[in-house]
Amino acid sequence: MVQFLRFATIRAALAFFTLCLVSFIVFSLMELVPGDCAERYLAFKNSQGAQISIADIEAERVRLGLDRPYLERWTSWIFNAFQGEFGDSCILRLNINQLLGQKVWLSIGICLGSLFLAYLIAVPVGIIAATSRNPYLNNGLRIVSYLGLALPNFLLALMIMLFSTVFFGDSLTGLFSPEYRDAPWDWPKIKDFLGHVWLPVFILGWSATAFAIQTVRALMSDEISKLYVTAAAARGVSGRRLLMRYPARHALSPIINSLGFDLNRIFNELPIVALILTLTEAGSLLIEALARSNDQQLAGAIIFFLTGSIIAINFITDIALAIVDPRIRRSILG
Amino acid sequence: MSRLIDVENLTLQFDTDEGRITAVDDVSFSLEAGEVMGLVGESGSGKSVTAKSLMKLNPRNAIYGENTKITLHLEDGPVDVMSLQNDREMKIVRGGSISLIFQEPMASFAPAISIGDQMVEQLLIHTNFSKAQAKEVSIEMLDRVGISDPSTRFGQYAFELSGGMRQRAMIAMALSTKPKLLIADEPTTALDVTIQAQVIDLMKDLVSEFGMGIIFITHDLGVIAQTADKVAVMYLGRLVEQGTVRDVIRRPAHPYTRGLIAALPTLDDIDAPLTPIPGDIPSPLERPPGCVYNTRCQEVVGSRCSTQVPAFYQVQPDHAAACHIYDPEGGTE
Repeated sequence: MVQFLRFATIRAALAFFTLCLVSFIVFSLMELVPGDCAERYLAFKNSQGAQISIADIEAERVRLGLDRPYLERWTSWIFNAFQGEFGDSCILRLNINQLLGQKVWLSIGICLGSLFLAYLIAVPVGIIAATSRNPYLNNGLRIVSYLGLALPNFLLALMIMLFSTVFFGDSLTGLFSPEYRDAPWDWPKIKDFLGHVWLPVFILGWSATAFAIQTVRALMSDEISKLYVTAAAARGVSGRRLLMRYPARHALSPIINSLGFDLNRIFNELPIVALILTLTEAGSLLIEALARSNDQQLAGAIIFFLTGSIIAINFITDIALAIVDPRIRRSILG
Repeated sequence: MSRLIDVENLTLQFDTDEGRITAVDDVSFSLEAGEVMGLVGESGSGKSVTAKSLMKLNPRNAIYGENTKITLHLEDGPVDVMSLQNDREMKIVRGGSISLIFQEPMASFAPAISIGDQMVEQLLIHTNFSKAQAKEVSIEMLDRVGISDPSTRFGQYAFELSGGMRQRAMIAMALSTKPKLLIADEPTTALDVTIQAQVIDLMKDLVSEFGMGIIFITHDLGVIAQTADKVAVMYLGRLVEQGTVRDVIRRPAHPYTRGLIAALPTLDDIDAPLTPIPGDIPSPLERPPGCVYNTRCQEVVGSRCSTQVPAFYQVQPDHAAACHIYDPEGGTE
């Protein structure tokens, strides 16, 4: 147990280090983009008719602390970030916590929901597909699976919106009905939210499911043909017990391994779907921050959350792997 | 000695994309309790498939011949293996009265389940033991096969054991249900020579102790000479020679067996050239007509070798070969 805790601590420390590294890379990359936030902001003011001089820009830089070396700026930023304080967005002049609000949690929730949905379907279906001899079932699954892989998410989203608009007069966009948008969380709001959120979860889960079914099926077929399964059958283990305790049990570790990867994929797809469904979530805000305003503070904060959640799930899968797989467990515990 | 198993006219084909492959063709043999039979042949000769047939353990695309009859003689009466249908009925030949040891002990243990759990699982399937009793029996068996500190090993995984240790554990597991017949499919091939001898000795001891029959599958005639009472030689799915181990090795009757023995390297004369059997084993998709060995045989006795399947001829008491040479009605014209 002590060794296990030590392992968990080391992994947690590594995860923390990775998080710092990623934020540092993002910070550095944004530093390389010409034009800083002070210039952007004053250029914006200039376009509104204000007269701007070089001195104004310099003053603005000092005000924003942009005159300090960027290593120093990054250090203080990361220090504050871990205390949950991300400063102000330089373009929007708003506190980032206020600006992001629940958006980050909504994004993470949608992604985790899609991932959960994907594996909820993929694990049983993949196992059945790997063990079934029925050609209709197998080919049917293959077609559905390829459709899921081949059909871009945004197209699926557009199709569903079109269908729904034509037949039900509701475009199904957004995460909340207007009356609940700024309302505090209560039961009717949750119901309204669930009534909206199923669509992005479904769309993102769709291709993730197709992908996951292929993964589960391949892993299962792989395990089923291994000698230890035949050996177990030769000892009289049979039926569901043979299937679940042997190939399914042993396919579990690589499936756990693929979770982190799949979550990453879903995160990458979220902004496009969010754009089409006009979801107010963090992914689209990130694109805005990166593409339009070079808003280091905002982009940094969002990326901090996104990588944070990916690193968190990888940390969890690492721990889960160690629990599930004795080979990994023994390599840790010695 | 009492009869343990009768295999009659075992024919087995596989339905594959390239067509129907005959893996075993009309093989018959029998085994007495307490007897060790060596099943010899090159890879692809159908020895493993034959062995798995006794447990009906071949893949789904296997088709057994109509005349195939496998009878296992148990205390409660004979069991017709071919008529066993569902998993419940098949338990008796899968780990109950017949146990199978595979060539690769590493691959035949499930990697993420401890050795003890797999042993207990098997005992719970085949006996009325409680979990605690099954654990006790398993540890006792591990101790019996010479594994040190068996109660620690019980909780360990296959990857934590050495090769010889794994095969010992495999033997312990196979014997824990006290089967009447043990099938050992190249059990020592993956082991070092020194460990091989240990494992073979162990198996011999256990056979005499438990009084069971063993079918020992190998391509190594040296191992057969050490362990078996009798030998059956297979080539391309057919049995070509059967006899007592002494007879077959001293006076091999079938040209194929002679070739096999001549091909063995010898330590007495390390400069002696190896004499391999010329040619390759034909693809099972293109089985030669007549005697299956005629394409490589150096003692062909005329056109009948490639047209007519030879019957078994007695060359000595308890020693028979399927070769036209021994046809009393003028095989060697």
